[in-house]
Parts: sequence; C-alpha cells; structure tokens
Amino acid sequence: MKECNIVIAGVGGQGVLLTAEILGNSALKEGYDVRVSEIHGMAQRGGSVVCDVRIGKRVYAPTTPDGMADIMLGLEPIETLRYLRFTSPQTLIIMNTRIVEPVSVLMGMAKNLTLSDITQIIHRFYDHAITIDVMELAMKAGSPIVQNIVILGVLASTKKLPINVNTLKESIKQHVSPKYFELNIKALELGLKAGESYLSFRR
Amino acid sequence: MLLSKNAGERYLLSGNEAIARGAIEAGVKVVTTYPGTPSSEIADSLSDVSKDAEIYMEYSTNEIVAVEVAAGASLCGVRALSSMKHVGLNVASDALVTLAYTGVRGGLLIVSADDPSCWSSQNEQDNRYYALLANLPCVEPSNSQEAKDWTLYAFDLSEKFELPVLFRTTTRVSHTLAPVELGSIHERLDHGKFIPEVGRFVMVPDFARVRHSILIEKMESIKEVSEKSPLNKIVREGGKIGFVTSGASFNYTMEAIDILGIEASILKIGFIHPFPEQLVKDFIKGFEEIFVVEELEPYIENAVKSSASSLGLMKIHGKSSGFLPRNGELSTSIVAKALAKRLGKPLPRKFIDEIPFEEIRKTLPPRPPILCPGCPHRASFYAMKKAMKGAEINCTDIGCYALGVQAPLKIGDLLICMGASIGAACGISKVQERPVVAIVGDSTFFHASIPGLINAVYNRHRMILIVLDNYATAMTGFQPHPGTGLTGTGTQGKRVIIEEVAKGCGVEHVEVVDPYNIKQACDAFKRAMEYLGPSVIVARQKCSLLATQEKKRKGERIIPYEIIEEKCTQCLACIKVLGCPAIIVSNGMVMIDADLCTGCSICAQICPYKAIEISKGEAR
Repeated sequence: MKECNIVIAGVGGQGVLLTAEILGNSALKEGYDVRVSEIHGMAQRGGSVVCDVRIGKRVYAPTTPDGMADIMLGLEPIETLRYLRFTSPQTLIIMNTRIVEPVSVLMGMAKNLTLSDITQIIHRFYDHAITIDVMELAMKAGSPIVQNIVILGVLASTKKLPINVNTLKESIKQHVSPKYFELNIKALELGLKAGESYLSFRR
Repeated sequence: MLLSKNAGERYLLSGNEAIARGAIEAGVKVVTTYPGTPSSEIADSLSDVSKDAEIYMEYSTNEIVAVEVAAGASLCGVRALSSMKHVGLNVASDALVTLAYTGVRGGLLIVSADDPSCWSSQNEQDNRYYALLANLPCVEPSNSQEAKDWTLYAFDLSEKFELPVLFRTTTRVSHTLAPVELGSIHERLDHGKFIPEVGRFVMVPDFARVRHSILIEKMESIKEVSEKSPLNKIVREGGKIGFVTSGASFNYTMEAIDILGIEASILKIGFIHPFPEQLVKDFIKGFEEIFVVEELEPYIENAVKSSASSLGLMKIHGKSSGFLPRNGELSTSIVAKALAKRLGKPLPRKFIDEIPFEEIRKTLPPRPPILCPGCPHRASFYAMKKAMKGAEINCTDIGCYALGVQAPLKIGDLLICMGASIGAACGISKVQERPVVAIVGDSTFFHASIPGLINAVYNRHRMILIVLDNYATAMTGFQPHPGTGLTGTGTQGKRVIIEEVAKGCGVEHVEVVDPYNIKQACDAFKRAMEYLGPSVIVARQKCSLLATQEKKRKGERIIPYEIIEEKCTQCLACIKVLGCPAIIVSNGMVMIDADLCTGCSICAQICPYKAIEISKGEAR
C-alpha cells in the first residue's frame, strides 16, 4: 500500500474526532506512519466537522489533498456532500442515510436536499458507494452514540482499510470507557455484517 | 502516557500534547496559561498530570499575568512554560518585550499557537514578528515529534543564554496527531531561590539601556547557534530549483513536490529568529530560482531576500511575486497548484475536477456552529431581546456567546477582542442616543473587563454590562477561572464573586438573575435600561454541557420536555425564536429530541399555546 487517505465528515457531536483517533491509533499499531487532522473549538458546537486520517509509509501533511481521498466516511449525508472536493470518482464512499436537519433548514431559512437527491448524486459520480442507515444499526446495538463505530465496521468489511479488525477492537478498548466497550464492539460487529451483506448484494 | 518513564515508546500525540510531554522530559516546574484555541491542550494536559509530575500549574486570569507568573518562577531558577493562542501574546507582549532585557534564569518557554485561516480566532496575525519585535529566539516545529524534541532544545537554549524563547506553532501542528517517540524524563533538582540583581531585574531607564545592549550581544551569539542548529536542515538535495520552508508549510511542500514529480532541494528552517543568514546564503547560491513556502506574512521570504542581496540576480518566489497568498493556511493542494502554474507542470488527474463539487456544495444548507441545546446564553439573549425590543446596540465579546450573532437570536453588532465590548460600548454611548449593551462571559470578565468597567464608572458612561456566567471557560474546554474557585491543580482556591467585583469597582446598579427564569431576567434588563449610569447584570446558570455531564456522573436524571400534540399548532415559534437544536421537525411535526433536550424549560416558557410540558415518559 502506498498510502490510504480517509476523510471523515459529520456533525459536531457525532464522534467524528473519536473515529479518526481510533483509526489513527490502529494504523500506528500496525506500524504505519500516520497523521490525523482535527480542528477544535468553534467547529464543535453542532457545526459541520471534517477530519482526516492519513496512513502510509511516510506521511507529511495532516490534510488530504483535493481528489486524493481513498475513502470518505460520511456520518451525515449533507456533510458528505460538503466535502466531496477531497474525493475522485475512484474514492470509496460510505454514507449514513440519516439526515440531521441544520437549524437553518428548520427555521425555513435554507432549503435542504432530499435523501434521494443525495444518494442519486453519490451513485451517479462514484463507482464504489455504500449508502446505509447507520442509525438503525446503532439503535440495534443499543444507542445512537455508536453510529460512528457502526460505520467503522462497515469500512472494515470492505477490505479497503490496511488495518486488521482485531487492531480496531484494541484501539476501541483504549478509547472508550469500559462501561461502553461491549456496546461499541456490538456496533462494530453489526457494521461489519451489514457491510458484508451490502457488498454481496451489490455483487 | 505523558508521565511514562519508558523512553522509546511510541504514541499518537497532538502537537500540543507533544509540547506537554517535552516540557515534562525537560523537567518543567511551573506552567501557566490562559486557555485559547489552538493552544489549550498544552496546559490542559499538564494540568491533568500536575500532581503526579509535581508541577505547579495555573489558569491565570489572562496571558500577561500568565507570562509574569512563569517569569517570576524562572527568575528563581526553575524551568517554566507559559502557553497561549496568538492573540493572547498581544495581551502578554508588554511583559515579554522587557523580559528580553532582564532575561531569565531557569529556562522559560513562551508558546504561541497561531491560527492561520481563523479556525477559532478573530484574526490570523503572524506571531513570528514578535520574535523580531522583542528580539528573542524563536523556533517552529513542523510535526509532533519535533514539537516534543524541540521543547527540550528550547529549554536548554533559554537557560544557556538566559533569555525567554518564543515557541511558535500553528493550528495544523498543534492539532494534528502524529507518532511521537518518547525520550527520558530529566530529573532536575530545582529549588527556587531569588537572588537579587538590581541592575538586571529593575528596568529603570539607566539599567534598561545597559540591558538592551546586552540583549543585542546575546542575540549575536545566538545567531551563531542558529547557523549551525540541527533545527535548520537541508532535507533533500538535487534539481535546479531550491525551496526554503518551515513549520506546517514544510509538509505541504514535500507532498506537492512528490505529487508533481519535481526534482528540487529543500531547506527547512526551524530556528526562525535569529535567522540563519549564512546557511541560507550557502544553500540558495547554486539555484536560479528559489521558492519560499510559508503561511501568512512574507517573514522568511524577506529574510531570504536579504541573504540573497549580495548574490546578484536570482528569482525568489513567495508572497510578493504572487506565487502564494498572504492570507489563510496553505495545503498540499494550494502549494501543488501554485507550483504547477509557475513551472508549467501538469497536475495529476485526480486534481482536475471530474465531479462538479462546487455546484453541489452551493446547493447545501449552511451548518455553522451553534449554541448547544439548553445553553443558558440562548435564554439570556431571548430575555434581552424581549426587554429591549431591538432598541439597543450589542457589543459582544470573545466566547461561546459570540455564536449568538447567528439567526434567530442575532445578538452582536460588534466583536473585536477580549474585553473590547466594554470600552467600545463606552465610546458608542457617548456619541449617540441608543442604549448600549456590552456582553462578556465570566472568564472574559476576569480576563479583560475590569479596567473597562472602572472606566465606565469613573467617566459616568451609560452602558449595561451583561456578564453571562456559566461557571466555565466553556468554548476552550471548560477550564476553571476565578469565578469557579477551582484551580488548575484541582485544589480549592478562593472564589471571586463577579457581582462583588462589580460593586467594588463602583457600579451602583448590580443585579444577579437566573436566565432560565425568563420573566425575572427580562424585568432585570428593563430596569437596567431605565438606569442612568453604568449597570451590571450577572446572568448566572451553569453551561448546559457541563451541567449534563455532571448529572450523568452523579447518576442524576435528566428529564426532557415534550410537545403536547393536541395543543401544538405547528406555529414553529419555538424553532424560529430560539433555534434550539433539540427542537426538530419530523414527518411534518414539531418534536423535541429527548436525547438532546437538557430540560432547561425555555421553550415551554415561550410557547404561545402552552404546548410544551415536562416529559411524563422515561427520564434518561
């Protein structure tokens, strides 16, 4: 593997940073060089959040150059579209289908795209795209807070990630409190399974 | 991990955590700060381990106090570090410039985290110029490993030459996680002792003149160090063009050159001031074209031009030639595109937009950061608007409450810097008739508001100061401040009460309200409007994120509110007036997201149809 650039997009509070840290630490465990970019402060308060995980033999910059993302993890559909400039038609897109309406839309100040508009755009431009109701799986695991781990499971199922599932589990253990470890592992397994069946269905 | 004794272990650390680890390895004893993104995690992580590491750590009231406290300790021979965001150094600069004259004894690091692109700041000033202004050594790392290693280097340098060292980072170094190999922790047997030296530490004019010439001599010697320093390094040799770069820009340069397949030589500058003039001269000599890649001001570019002046004609591309912009942060893409254009190189296919990203992006609704569910500032702003009916001018300040400028609350006509709301309100009130309000947070009140408030009292300005007291420096990560009474080492300090400070400053009309009680808050604002002198209203209610965390920790129940469907007319007043993210529309019906609702009750108080009630269902 030359390098693997992962862009993670979502809404503040969805666990974008935690997902990136788990991936980053896993890559370090596997012996890769790694950079994880995160922007703190203002960006956190329910706003749009984007984070990069860059894995390779030698990585310099924290952010993915335009068009160079190998994988895009979209925890929210609108935020997935907002950061498409980091992708190319070859990028693997994994997108949660649950829209989180921005307050600007609820107040009637802005119009939102419908989910079918968004999935149409994704499937039209990208050869490899997985659109999946991550929230449903997270609820099945036990809580909406593990949507990020479910999507990580989906990613792990695609074999595009140069990281072993057991390494991911180890990192999860280091990053979440023991109380929530089982919940997170369940979420990861559900994501893995959903990813596998999605892929076999598409084939 | 920060205290691990196992040298050689590798961890994924942010630049900020790496600086904290470096300080521990260097045997730091005193750490001070005023929190500010992107610098906060340096001191926060040292606060977490202060007891075990036997470090004295404090959240000072502001940056100049932080630097003075660290300097005092350093003058007694112990190692000290003071960290802040770039604009914090403006506040601390008065102390910094004269500290260069007195010098220090124990190593003293002043860490300035700059914020190109204003990710969390009101400006994107380039603090390398403070090194020039104060004539102090300055170093700048490009990744976490360097951030850790160079912290030790800077402490040694500071101690050897008895000068404070400016340690500059930017957001993309401070907030990027990268592997760091730990070193060993140096045990230092420091016992603080103040040995008087009047001619050196008392900067009356006669002594200051002498000390200035000593500073100039010291910096001449440090220039020799910089010329040979391992912090400046030719990292790649070859080709017909040369690059001079530093910090975050170095990373983008390396990647851009590889993407374009350019053969070139690269000199990375880590020792920013004094500038290694001879080293640069020797490096650039063989090239016809030199590219300087740096963010913000043409700092290195000007130094390179000065080095090149005796070498005859040479093309130097930087900011003044229009090669790179003078504002905003750089990226691999920006550098690669600029280089491709200048050198006539084709960009890789992936760089060329095959997908209409921009057109897609333009159709998306904006999602700016907003006040959290249950935020007491939302309640204060609603009550203010109701009481003052839009007649007032709102001078706001630095903190979460600056987010109130967005719809639907739209509170904020002016925002400059910490504490500026009060001074500006005084000026505005003097020359026009509309009532003027200054809005500050609790931490901002202690940081920079008290001189402004005394000015308002002394000069009889008619203005209303609203202090939004949420028991935390919330925006930067809930650090404590004098109003909380807790200290950076986790011990109980003495709580300083905001309303008592206001009264002590001579304010005669002072009220404390609970913003969750809309009527009470509204009445207080009305009384302040009618008052003829300066007045202070303290709106006190714990930050909703903090309150929710505490309740969960204690196992207390959070009871959300819910919409009574039969009473709700879908008028959307709750959404359009408050903009609380916990109130959503699902399948055409207004609903309260029970997972987000903190139970603040504001929506229930303002619903025209009394259709919002406390939930009878399950608490969470």
